[in-house]
Amino acid sequence: MSLSTHTTISGFLLPSIHSAPPFFTEQPNPTTQSIATEQWIRLILSYARHRKLFVLRVEDAETTDGDWEEILRNDRINRKVLPGHLSNFMKVMVERNLAGYEPPRQMRSVLVYWRLPEEWAEVLYDWVVSSGQLSTILTFYDITDPPIESPLTNIPIPLLRKAIAILGKTGRSQLIAIADGEGVRFLPRSK
Amino acid sequence: MFYGLLFQQYAKRQLSSELSRAQVENLHSQLNQFRTALVRFASTHRESIRSDPSFRHAFQQMCSSIGVDPLAGPRKGGWWAELLGLGDWQYELGVQIVDVCVSTRERNGGLIEMSELVRLVSKLRGVGEGGITEDDVVRSIKTLQPLGAGYEVVEIDGCQMVRSVVKALDEDQTVILSIAREQGGRVIEDHLIQRKRWTRDRARAALENMLLRDGMCWLDAQDEKSGRAEIVYRKCD
Repeated sequence: MSLSTHTTISGFLLPSIHSAPPFFTEQPNPTTQSIATEQWIRLILSYARHRKLFVLRVEDAETTDGDWEEILRNDRINRKVLPGHLSNFMKVMVERNLAGYEPPRQMRSVLVYWRLPEEWAEVLYDWVVSSGQLSTILTFYDITDPPIESPLTNIPIPLLRKAIAILGKTGRSQLIAIADGEGVRFLPRSK
Repeated sequence: MFYGLLFQQYAKRQLSSELSRAQVENLHSQLNQFRTALVRFASTHRESIRSDPSFRHAFQQMCSSIGVDPLAGPRKGGWWAELLGLGDWQYELGVQIVDVCVSTRERNGGLIEMSELVRLVSKLRGVGEGGITEDDVVRSIKTLQPLGAGYEVVEIDGCQMVRSVVKALDEDQTVILSIAREQGGRVIEDHLIQRKRWTRDRARAALENMLLRDGMCWLDAQDEKSGRAEIVYRKCD
């Protein structure tokens, strides 16, 4: 077994453990399994960050040509992560607040927090301040699809809501009902 | 006459004690010379001994051939060790070995190849390849013995490995490890049955123990041919 790193088509550097066949099997020894899970979670988060992926579904382990194929399969050694295995990683990630089930009350799809909601809140606030939109009423669409691409482009609405709620706790955001739904206004940091 | 005899005896004794004193003095001065020579050697070559692995090896061989243990001595570490700082060097290396063994234990189940250990310790020390040798590692592991942590150098099928778990490898595990070496780390029950004429129960029990009880190997359930293979550890090059 010669293990080596590998760079995928999308330019992501896979760690050498990804070329070890047993990495794709759930380990019966709990200690070994927790090590493997640790490695998988790290891999999922860094790949999500690399490709700016937000949603991970159990189905991603069943389909080919999915967003996650580069890490969930390794055709060079003919191994893949099975759906049940993937759903275990998702469960552990949710337990550690590295992901959240979305929609809630199901276990087949998660939002991956490659930035924690608290971090997204700061990224959001920084963007609002630096683009001079303090005190302006913005729609969610203004944030998720701004004319100039921002770090928040394509952020899923549930995650955006979390970030807005976190800023709300320190009085930096305010949800406002507007004609066609909801808007948000960001306020200067109170002294 | 009587006095004369007494005097004679006295003179003899005097002479013999003078003789032995001269011998002792001679010995003392020889010892002093030896000691000065050693001190000079140690202080001139101190750096080379600490930094040059082949020089260190030669020095250690010289020490053992004249029956001097560079680490032993009445005082803490011995004066050799104090002069050379070699005692500290060896202990420091020991600590680094423990560091590498403990931090890789979850990956390798407490059994690491010598070459891999040397590589990781060198990396930890920030020195290039050749900075430390297998010989140094073996020596340092010996200095760890009084701690009773069970560090040991074991040979599996001609490949030196360092074991950092107290668990002893039983005979079956040693056989499995040597098969794993040949097969690039992959072991299946059938190998053990065909090659070693084990019964299926024995093969299964030995593998299950390594997998479940000892955490020394990983399971691969997607193996093309057998559907189940135990991956024991990386091939020892």
